[in-house]
Amino acid sequence: MTNPFDHLSEYRQYAWGHRMLHSISVALISLRSLSAGIWVIVALFLLSGIGVLFSTQSKSHKLEMWVFSPEHQAMYLPMIESQSGDERIKPHLSLLSIAAIKSRMMSGFFGGLPTADLIEVERSTVGQAFMGPIEAIGFRDLTDRMESEGLLELFNPPSLSPWSVQGRVFGLPHDVHPVMLAYRADLVEAAGIDLEQVETWEEFFDALAPMMTDADGNGINDRYAMSFWYTQPDNVELLLLQGGGHLFDAQSKPTLNSSINAEILSTIVSWCVDPSQPVIDIDEFSAAGHQARIDGKAIAYLCPDWMCSIWKMHVPLIAGKMKLIPLPAFKEGGRRTSVRGGTMLGFPRSSENFDTSWESAKLLYTSPEIARELYRSVDIITPVRSLWDDPVYDEPDPFFMNQRKGQMYIDLAPNIPTRTSSPYNTSAVLEVRDAAVNLASWAKSNEMYQPEDLEAKALELLEIAHQNIVRKMARNAFTGVEN
Amino acid sequence: MKLQNLNFKILCLHAFLILLAIIVLFPFAWLIIASLKSQEDFFSGMFVPPGDGLFGLGWDKLTLDNYKALFKLGFGNSLVNSVFYASASALFATLISAATGYILAKSRFRGRSFITLIVLGALIIPPTLLIAPSYELLYSLGLLDSIWGLLLPTFAPAFGVFLFRQAVSQSVPDELIEAARIDGCSELTIFLVIVLPLVRPMIGAFMLITFLGMWNNFISPQIILQSESKQPLSVAIAQLRGVYRTDYGLLMAATVVSVAPVAALFLLLQKQFISGLTSGAVKG
Repeated sequence: MTNPFDHLSEYRQYAWGHRMLHSISVALISLRSLSAGIWVIVALFLLSGIGVLFSTQSKSHKLEMWVFSPEHQAMYLPMIESQSGDERIKPHLSLLSIAAIKSRMMSGFFGGLPTADLIEVERSTVGQAFMGPIEAIGFRDLTDRMESEGLLELFNPPSLSPWSVQGRVFGLPHDVHPVMLAYRADLVEAAGIDLEQVETWEEFFDALAPMMTDADGNGINDRYAMSFWYTQPDNVELLLLQGGGHLFDAQSKPTLNSSINAEILSTIVSWCVDPSQPVIDIDEFSAAGHQARIDGKAIAYLCPDWMCSIWKMHVPLIAGKMKLIPLPAFKEGGRRTSVRGGTMLGFPRSSENFDTSWESAKLLYTSPEIARELYRSVDIITPVRSLWDDPVYDEPDPFFMNQRKGQMYIDLAPNIPTRTSSPYNTSAVLEVRDAAVNLASWAKSNEMYQPEDLEAKALELLEIAHQNIVRKMARNAFTGVEN
Repeated sequence: MKLQNLNFKILCLHAFLILLAIIVLFPFAWLIIASLKSQEDFFSGMFVPPGDGLFGLGWDKLTLDNYKALFKLGFGNSLVNSVFYASASALFATLISAATGYILAKSRFRGRSFITLIVLGALIIPPTLLIAPSYELLYSLGLLDSIWGLLLPTFAPAFGVFLFRQAVSQSVPDELIEAARIDGCSELTIFLVIVLPLVRPMIGAFMLITFLGMWNNFISPQIILQSESKQPLSVAIAQLRGVYRTDYGLLMAATVVSVAPVAALFLLLQKQFISGLTSGAVKG
């Protein structure tokens, strides 16, 4: 009788290569039992792998720049390409979402990880980078460099405020973003109303009151004077700033509970709760909102310069029907504009190529060609004051009934309110929004609709909002705020 | 009479199913039509913009311009990248998870329970919590902005390892493995010839989950990859959303391009995947 283990020992004498071949053939036999779906995925892997292997690899660049806007990328590329000299010192533009820039930037600042040499940061994102002591801010302090090269005077002064901490500037401003009031001139002029002479909000609502009719008698107005609601935090902040309100002082200490804030808040809430209700909540970016604009549901809109290009693209049907006027003031002789949004260009401290980056940044942020393109493509005016006399800003804009829109925004640019760079600004704005919601609810339940009747309650609610922000800031040892 | 009742029931059932199908297909129909509309016509009608054509609609206003513009922007490259990342991740994650699950289920070695506990523990950590440490680890390894940096962390998911450990424990009898060892099979042969066919239902299901997971993955490529040439579809689509304005027609065309291949693939191969899923359900 043959010992079965003799065969086993014989088998083990095979060379390693034979055993491998055996394993592979066995594996192939066993894989035959797998479904066709799995084989399709294997085939996709092999085919796409070949594609990835032979795809073009990006060139190595010395400078890296992160931008979040495809429009900015499209504007900068020709300018960068036209730069003479070493290819490697031309910044390579990476287009990332705002969230990705925020994650990578903060990982870089907190963890010492690599970031780009130049980063464009949106205002809603930059606050976090300014948290902590001034010497620990991840961006380079540009104040001295800007001063020595005369750039501090070159830029519109209020446009530096969101990027400044304790008087030190940490970014080059990309824009000004003044706000005007856009209105359906076709409807207003057909009604024989002249809004050009209007100076205050009160006069504005009075002038448009005849247009707020209820033709079908269903108890709901067919038209409203303006699109605004107290639940829109950006617009609440915009109007607070216009009226002289402020959420933080120059030292970034919270000032939510000021009497001027209470006055403005009670005024704008009264617009929404008043039985005649001259305002309506129309979404700024949705299809429904655009349709309401086409239908003329609201006559006027708060319109920062960047909003013009949004309408041109998304609501072309209102082209030639709109006009712009400066914002009506809260009081006679008051401020006729405000500000909303913004972007800066920062230079991370960790970058070793600051001098090269600086030269590229100056080219992109102070060049007349870029400024012109910025206005032509997205209607944004440059913060570089010496470029404000460029003929591009005098061009009539057919969308706004051939008004010289650029010059109108520029006339208002020096008067935009200064803003805080506090990392707690977003929280503070949301607290004020909550106070506005509670104030509206209180006003309705007590049937009190006049601003002066609401002021005391507004102050009380703003005090609560103020204390909430103080508590939040007190958790951060570097804010200097105590509970 | 009974036949008439039966026909009526079938008719009602089909009417109900057609209604459900319309509800399910409505957004897809809207998406496809929207991808064929120009920016000017985008908000001018729910489906086809109004015009002088059939039913008072402007059929001639539908255009393929958005698709042409999309591929000029380099979407073909992103499509290939997405297919590669998803298929590589699905294949390697399945193979590695199955092998690890087999070892944890059937091998006896010191620390096995501890490793199983770690795998189980890893399951309760939310993936978003791992973004920052993963980023730092990949930086230390020099894998940021590399394909490996994106793929390596997906090759051994705790979920997959645990899933296959359970599948092997329940589907593969110890006696079978011992018999194979007596017959002289190596561990690799046992895994490939004995274990894999027995956990075939799990392979189909897990590969499907991993493929779709990676196809839809947005956060990781966004954080790890910087070069545009390496970006998958999910990131490329997000970049189409401008800060000042968005070309919605282009965005919808990109969404169709991202949904269509994977939907077609799984519609065509659903029988194969389902047969894989159910083949282990009935034992002879």
